Amino acid sequence: MLTRRLFLKAGGIALFTLGAGPRFLARTALAAQGPGPHARRKVLVTIFQRGAMDGLMAVPPVGDAALRALRPRLAMSAARAAGDQAVTDLGVGFGLHPAFSPLLPFWQERRLAVVHAVGSPDSTRSHFDAQDYMETGTPGRKGTPSGWLNRAVGLLGHEGSPFRAVALTPALPRSLYGDAPALAVTDLSQFRVRLPGAEKVASAAGAGFEALYQQTSEELLRDTAGETFRAMDLLTPEEIAGYRPAHGARYPQSPLGQALRQVALLIKTEVGLEVGFAESAGWDTHVQQGTVNGSFARQAADLAASIHAFWTDLGSGYQDDVLLTTMTEFGRTVRENGSGGTDHGHGSCLFVLGGRVDGGKVHGRFPGLSADVLYEGRDLPVTTDFRAVFCELAGKHLGVKDDGQLFPGWTGGRVPLLRA
Amino acid sequence: MRAAVLTAVIALTVFAGASAVERTPSYRFPWKEAGLTEREAAAHLLNRFSYGPCPGEIDRVLKIGLDRWFERQLAGRQAEPGLERLDALPALSMPARRIAEVYPPRAVALRQGLQGYRSQRELIGQLMAQKLWRAAGAENQLTEVMTDFWFNHFNVSLTDNQARGYVLSYERDAIRPNALGDFRGLLGATARHPAMLLYLDNAQSAAPMVDRPSRSDFEALPRTRRPRGLNENYARELLELHTLGVDGGYNQADVIQVARAFTGWTLMPPGPRRLVAEAKLRRAEGLGFVVEDEFLFRADLHDVEEKVVLGRKLPAGRGVEDGEEVLDLLARHPATARHVAHKLAVRFVSDEPPRALEERLAGVFLKTGGDTREMLRVLATSPDFWSRRTVGAKIKSPFELAASALRATGGRIEDPRELAGWIARMGQPLYAYQAPTGFPDRGEAWVNTGSLLQRMNFGLQLAAGRIGGVDLDLADLNGRREPASRDEALQVYAGLLLPGRNLEPVLAQLGPMIHNPELAKKVDAGSRAPRPLEQVVGVILGSPEFQRR
Repeated sequence: MLTRRLFLKAGGIALFTLGAGPRFLARTALAAQGPGPHARRKVLVTIFQRGAMDGLMAVPPVGDAALRALRPRLAMSAARAAGDQAVTDLGVGFGLHPAFSPLLPFWQERRLAVVHAVGSPDSTRSHFDAQDYMETGTPGRKGTPSGWLNRAVGLLGHEGSPFRAVALTPALPRSLYGDAPALAVTDLSQFRVRLPGAEKVASAAGAGFEALYQQTSEELLRDTAGETFRAMDLLTPEEIAGYRPAHGARYPQSPLGQALRQVALLIKTEVGLEVGFAESAGWDTHVQQGTVNGSFARQAADLAASIHAFWTDLGSGYQDDVLLTTMTEFGRTVRENGSGGTDHGHGSCLFVLGGRVDGGKVHGRFPGLSADVLYEGRDLPVTTDFRAVFCELAGKHLGVKDDGQLFPGWTGGRVPLLRA
Repeated sequence: MRAAVLTAVIALTVFAGASAVERTPSYRFPWKEAGLTEREAAAHLLNRFSYGPCPGEIDRVLKIGLDRWFERQLAGRQAEPGLERLDALPALSMPARRIAEVYPPRAVALRQGLQGYRSQRELIGQLMAQKLWRAAGAENQLTEVMTDFWFNHFNVSLTDNQARGYVLSYERDAIRPNALGDFRGLLGATARHPAMLLYLDNAQSAAPMVDRPSRSDFEALPRTRRPRGLNENYARELLELHTLGVDGGYNQADVIQVARAFTGWTLMPPGPRRLVAEAKLRRAEGLGFVVEDEFLFRADLHDVEEKVVLGRKLPAGRGVEDGEEVLDLLARHPATARHVAHKLAVRFVSDEPPRALEERLAGVFLKTGGDTREMLRVLATSPDFWSRRTVGAKIKSPFELAASALRATGGRIEDPRELAGWIARMGQPLYAYQAPTGFPDRGEAWVNTGSLLQRMNFGLQLAAGRIGGVDLDLADLNGRREPASRDEALQVYAGLLLPGRNLEPVLAQLGPMIHNPELAKKVDAGSRAPRPLEQVVGVILGSPEFQRR
């Protein structure tokens, strides 16, 4: 029933299927071989919140007078008396927007941390530029050919599977541009030779193509095809169609929910995922941002429910392998605008979730919101460079050692977020 | 504007009438020396300098002569009977400024309460349609190939929502007219186009110290891109990607000097704000402001101090000529010649082109002032181009694959959307490579597990008529003669789709595949399974051989 497949790459790639033996036997076999290329891997899962999340609504400083003054309609109270207007007091001087409540248990277990006043040192307020800079990892430089996640994969120092870096997005994100092979796919069930309505023909054609490509003299096509067909053996249509989230996890039907469901599938089928990428849209809340309801709350609820389902689905068997982080291109103005929303700002916050996370804390230096500290007189300043966070995550979780190669030009060190 | 269009039309007519632009070749291609048959040579030529042979095209090229075919392509003045339907795309004949008015970004339309505007999706649909229609159906194929090449060299991207509305006019006005021209013309046209000015942020670059009262008079920039001081992005990519290349011998100080030279290069505001800007500009007459179509040089944002670029002094007190002089300097720099030579050799010869060929091309670049036609002649007459090692050595990009498949099968694109979606899934979202580097032009960049699978699926589904908006008539390809067996179908259609190639190994490999019992099974009437001929063609289009050019 449970088939453990091993994936080796040594010169060419060889694949071994260890029959239908019990999983622990396969594990023993793995352990005996030491941490080779086929070992179960650490996985970094990243969620890009496109549109710039309002970090001050997600994790507001509790009882901040400046915030209340600048946001007469948007500021929410943490007071119990305020009833359903209340944010959840995290007890560390910050609250959590109620729509993020599904994440509270992880906070209480100290697996979830927040990094506040985080962002890019570049002053741009253009979504495109700021996302580009965050994804290349080189603020202010557009010509960097590769993305930081691709460089992270290149720096892992071991061979990987075709499912090593997967973006559950329609097009390859800038974060994964680069020399290391990376897949972009929105629906894993399409990862096979397909001819809808004629499955048998498709599977025969697939077998034919496999033989055909084996014989070509063109090395790149031959080797890649070999890898492709082995990848399909690794992850069968039955396995994809038959995937059932465990432990009662219920993913939202949203694009993010379905993306994370497939990330979980890739992790739990042990096909060699090491970097997963998903995105969440709709954070550009210029108009009617709302408080307990409204556009912010809708996006927050979807993000929280998706992450909650993902983490639940992984269960204790896989949670220790996985580290999840969110990111967003910048924050939003402290002052609300005339349309009940907020405009493009600077610093925001991000969430980190994982077994080794120094959780239940708000990391980073939150400088307050008094007029004299605001960036350009209007925005939450950036006191933690996003590169200091990602170096820590890629460094401690994935074992990427060279921060200067991961983020060219970065000498600012790491912010401690993971326990040793 | 209308007068200008009219002049252009007259000029075109005159040109088309005079066959003088089409040279009589004074060279011959050395295919015989490489041991190729003339047929193989014609196929190779078509595979590299066009998007691949159409049915019967090899014979036509043989009849005209390979060298004459090539000269006609270089002249790029053949009539385009197959492209009449471009007339159905209204944006293609609108000036950039009109496009911005008719197809504003949604956010702008909402903010300004515009009525009766059309969506940018529609604009992008037209952009895709014209590219695919031209690649599949244009006679002047080399113009298409070079338009694609230079667009990618001077890349801008639809993923940038500020530049998005200008991408169509960028290709049409800055790239296409210069695709076979000289490099300086291209460089200048791209530098001044709104798409580039927005994509690489020069539109918001201003002298570091200026803060003159007049500054706020010209709210020429979109809301989020107001000048915030010097922006180096365009300058850096101009040096690294457009001209000198990454090892071109410049340093960060040069980047800053170049950025200073281009301060004030921005664009006219679109829509009603343009009238306001024009009125202000009339009052600023004599102050060095320059307007040319959408390009605007704002003297008030220009850094007038002295600059030193790559050792050359640009004296203080000047205006738009600073940037122009930098472009002159870069366009005739030996490092630029080497950089462009390398990219051309990679595009037309192989992923690792011979160094000597690159040097020859660079020499021609310097001697001719970057004349694209002269460089292409050198490429096409070089023994490296015709060597057996070169034939079939390039992996087609997803776009090349799709275009060549449509040409080979005589497919007709009615609606480009699904096709563009396939090309994107195979790894090449058209006009949407986010980085200014453009798509990498190497086999490894195009072939990975996900994209290769999509290539096979593309072949199968195209042949089975499953790609919406694309019409194929496979029987017509063979003059409606139905092959008597699968073997015959394979033989006949491999010959039709892979003309001029040695078919023996292909047939030997494909033969067993099409006899797979599942594939060979009789197709019941009403079944969704593709007919045997569709299966055979799908297998050919998905085969390794068809992925190469």
